[in-house]
Formats: sequence, structure tokens, C-alpha cells
Amino acid sequence: MLKALFPTLARFRLAVQLIMLALTVYGSVVVGHYAAEKISGALPALSCAYDMQNSAYCVLIPTQHQFHHRIGEGIVRAQQVTFQIVIPFLMTVLSFFAFFVVIGKAFCGWVCPLGTIQELVARIGRRFGFGLRRFVPGDLGAVGRVRPVKWLLLLALVFLLPLLAGLGVASHSLGNPYCDICPSRLATTLLTGNTEQLALRTNDGIAFALGAIGDALFGFLLVAALAVRQPFCRICPLLAWNSLFQRLSPLRLVKTPHEACAKCGVCSQACPLDIAEIAQAHGRKAFHEDCTLCGRCAEYCPQDGVIQLKWGPWALFASGREYYKRRVKAELPDGSVKPVRFAAREHA
Amino acid sequence: MKTALLTLAALAAFEAAAQAPAAPPAAAGRYAKSQDWTAYPLLLPALGGGRGERLAVRLGPRNLHAAALDVFAADGSPEQRHRQVPVGEDGNAAVAPVAPAKGNYTWVVAREEDATHVTVASTVAYFSNPGKAPTALLREPRHELEIVPERLPREHANYRESEKWGFLVRFNGAPLANQVLKLDTDNGSRGRFLTDAEGRAVVLFPRDFRPAAESRGHGHDHGPPRARFVLAAELDAADKHYLTAFNYSYAPDADRDRSLAWGAFFGVLGMAGALPLLRRRKPFKDGGQIDA
Repeated sequence: MLKALFPTLARFRLAVQLIMLALTVYGSVVVGHYAAEKISGALPALSCAYDMQNSAYCVLIPTQHQFHHRIGEGIVRAQQVTFQIVIPFLMTVLSFFAFFVVIGKAFCGWVCPLGTIQELVARIGRRFGFGLRRFVPGDLGAVGRVRPVKWLLLLALVFLLPLLAGLGVASHSLGNPYCDICPSRLATTLLTGNTEQLALRTNDGIAFALGAIGDALFGFLLVAALAVRQPFCRICPLLAWNSLFQRLSPLRLVKTPHEACAKCGVCSQACPLDIAEIAQAHGRKAFHEDCTLCGRCAEYCPQDGVIQLKWGPWALFASGREYYKRRVKAELPDGSVKPVRFAAREHA
Repeated sequence: MKTALLTLAALAAFEAAAQAPAAPPAAAGRYAKSQDWTAYPLLLPALGGGRGERLAVRLGPRNLHAAALDVFAADGSPEQRHRQVPVGEDGNAAVAPVAPAKGNYTWVVAREEDATHVTVASTVAYFSNPGKAPTALLREPRHELEIVPERLPREHANYRESEKWGFLVRFNGAPLANQVLKLDTDNGSRGRFLTDAEGRAVVLFPRDFRPAAESRGHGHDHGPPRARFVLAAELDAADKHYLTAFNYSYAPDADRDRSLAWGAFFGVLGMAGALPLLRRRKPFKDGGQIDA
């Protein structure tokens, strides 16, 4: 039964993504008005606090707020250090980590609503034959040039600017600058029919500028996702944040060395984030900081057991030749499928 | 030069913080108006009374006399779930969550009673740590005449002007039909609503924030500006006059000072910026491109 419903890991992942998209965007319909916030509090990377009726809390929101309201102002007031700084910050990090232990970086590849939306747009792009663009030399350039951006966004927009706002050095309009440009905030609120977040504040220059960047970024990635796989994930500070802890989670990608890897490279073609290291390296280096644990590399590895998704000692999925043969019949490693072609009807 | 100015600004900020006798209350910036906007009984925050506190909030009864506040929590042991907190000499009582790590909504009541009158002021205090949902807390009857929100706005949300929210009016635990519910707001609006057969009144928050007032909230506590409101119901029964009020805060309409047209413009601009990515490319060497 399960085998018929989910013949491939990709089909199973799509089902999980769609369920999580519905839960993160319309969760309160299922779990109730208050419970949605409680679940979000317990699983802090669930969805967006800007959606005030459904779910709430992405770990980046309390992190910015604590740098802004707690740490920055706490340093200024220099009192109640334990309650103002240590406990709230540890609670955010620990509750995030409690969630993280269960699924690790698979949040990005299996749960994130924006990731799901980008993949759905990419499917449309593949179906309609838009040419795939990759971060490889000769096309969009080496992927290494993009990778530092997510770290810069994490440091500057999640940590530094909120802290400076809390210290009183920067404007309070910079209190949660990452949320102000976050395209997931726009996606999840627009999916509930709420255009409030798309509208720009006109009485605050900084808020207007940040909102304009966010809206432009959202528009950009909606179109870019037709040709570029997961365009925003590459610069997402949550991916950087997750990668800080990826070695601590039992859920991980494991690759063992194999002589065919030097000439193959199919796994890196399958990788939506163009991680070349998955083909070139093994061991710890193969589980790269950009990996979202989507499992496509394992699906498209034609060697038995070379790439595995493991939780602790248990292999949840392992590559295999027979699986690979079935998989490529339905979809090429880069996600290409038989495109939809429009042709004029022939008249007799 | 710019660095020096920034450094001076940072030093000035530290200096000002060091010289201040005490940090201004989070609520003071928001609730700068005097208390004469209503004659109904209120429970208002004093020092440290901002929403979303973790440790304690100081609430004081206004327009009624009460020696203590009754505090009802959604979580904890029976002793913790109902506590009485004495009102101090400054006219305020410290309301804390049942445990340091437990938060969410707490129902707070002040009651004044004599032979012919029962006056009740009620509100909710929100503590930003996780805690049990207030659904059961709001369902339990506690006084003769009660006004209870059907649903409370969550941590990052507010009651907002132009929005409709449901409130239940109960007498001795039973829904009170055709009961008049009066609304007074800090911004000077007055409203009147009637409960239906289920004791439910739909309250429309008036669009009454003035542009000058809207900038008030962008001060110490960085949140949206808020104004207070109070809902009050009066009833004569069994030779007594019952007056009960529920007060909380509401915020401006989210559409104020926002432009959807500008938002859409920048969204479309971003889309246009991505169009070059849709141009077809020749296949590259590693075989990843399948269409020529």
C-alpha cells in the first residue's frame, strides 16, 4: 500500500512537504488558534509570526528579538543579566535544538514552506521546458561565490543589526531586519490571502527600503525558481543557522568512498543546491553545509549503499542501482521531465 | 568621522542609561494619556507593564477600590491557578506567572462589593514564555456578571481598529442575551453593542487612531502604538447592581501608512530582474543541461 502510494523517496518527500506546507500556513485550522502558537513555540522553526492567525515563530524571529530587546537593551540596562539575556536566549536555542535533534537539516528539505514553494515553481519550470540554470562554471558561475551570502545575512541581519538597534546605536526600524526582507514571510501570509506584508510602510524610510528589498527578492525568486533550483535556499540564513548544528543531529548524510565516483557525478547533478562536494568527497565533507537532506543525491546514486540518509545507526534510505534505474525513467537527475508542448491544432 | 559619531552616540546611550534613575516603564510610552477617558472600572499596567513580560507585570485597579487582585492562571496546581495578590501602597499589585518558565495568558480581576453594588474590573496579562492555552481559562465562570473574549490575540497580534472580535457576556455562568455592551476607547470613541441569544456580541473596534498618536508607539518598546479600550456591561438583579468591565488594548489598522501599490511594484520589479535567467543556454560540459 505504502509502496504504491510512495514508489520513490521523492514522492514521499513531496507528500511530506505538502502536508507541512498546509500545516505551517493553515495550521490553526487543524490544531486551533492558541495551539498553533504553542506548537510553533515548541517547534520554533515552524512558520512565520507575521501570519497572526495560523502558525508562528521561525527561530530567526526570536533570535533577532532577543538581540534587539533582550541582549542589546539588557547590556544597556546592565541588570538582571541572567533573566534578561541568558535564559531567554538559551530557551530559544534549546527549543530549536530539541526540534533539530529529530529532523536536523531535513527541516530545509522536507518542512520549510518556502522551500516547498520554490520546488513547486521549479516543477512548473521543468514541465514547461525552461532551461535549467546552475551555479557551475560556464553558466551562473562557481557556487562558492554564493555560499558566503547566507553567513553574511545571518551575521548582519539576524545578529548584528538587531543588537545595534537594542544598544540604541541603530534605528529601531532595524530591530528585525531579516524578517523585513524574508520572502517566506510574504509567501506564507499571501497564501492565507493576507496582503498586509506585501504592502510597504510609507511613514518610515528604513522600513520602506527593507520592505522594498523583501518584495523585490520575493518577486525575483518566484521567477528565478522556474530556471534555478532553490534560488533562495542558497542565501537563506536559516540554512546557515542549521548548518551550525548539523554535526550534532543524528540525522545526516553519509557517503562511503567508491571508485566509480571520480567519473560519475550524477549525484551532484541531482543536488538542487549544486553541491559538487557530494560527488568529489566522502565522509564528513560530503555532508556539506548547504545540504538540505532532501535525499536526491542518494536517489540518483547508481551504486548500492554508497550514499545513505541515516538517523543515528539506522539507514532511512540507501542508494541502489535498481532504484536508480526506476528513478531516471521518471525524471532526470537535474529534475527535467518530459515538457508540456503547445502546438496548433491541425485542421483537415 | 562617521565612526567617531557612532561611537559618541553609543557612549551617549550608555551614559543616559546609567544616569536614569530607573528604566521607564514599557507601557508608559504607549499609554501616555491620562486616565480620564472612561468612568468604567479598569485594571491598568504600571511599572514594567508592557505586554509579553516574562517575569511580572504590575497592575492597578482604577475607578474602583480593591485591596487585592484575583489572578487566574491556565496552568499549574489548584493553589497556583487561583491566587490573591495584595494591592500595595502605590496602588498596584505584582502579577507573576505561576512558575518562571510558564507563561501565556493570565486572567486578572479586581472586585469591589457592598450591599447593593458589585463592581468588577477584568483584564488579561500576557507572559511570553510558553504555557497552556487560555481556552478553558476563559470558559470557567468566576463572577456573577462577566465579559469574556471569545478569543485573545496571540503574542504577535493585537485587536486592531476596523476589526470585529467576539465577546461573551455571562451571568452566573449562563449566556446573557440582549445585554448592552458599551465600549469606551482611549482615543475617545464610544460604542454600543448588543448580545445575541448565545450571549455573544460582535465588537467592531473603531478606526480612531490619529496620525499624531500613531507615532507614539515607536519609542521605548518598539511595538505598534496601542490605545486602551474597555467593554462594560451593567445589570440589576436580586436587588443588586452589577457593573463588570473588561479592558485591554488595540492597535491601528495594519493598512494605515502602508502602500500595496508600492509593494506590488517592487515585487514585479524583482520578477523582471529574474527574467534573464529564463533565457535558454547551450548545454555545458558536465551534462546537466538537456535542452539546447
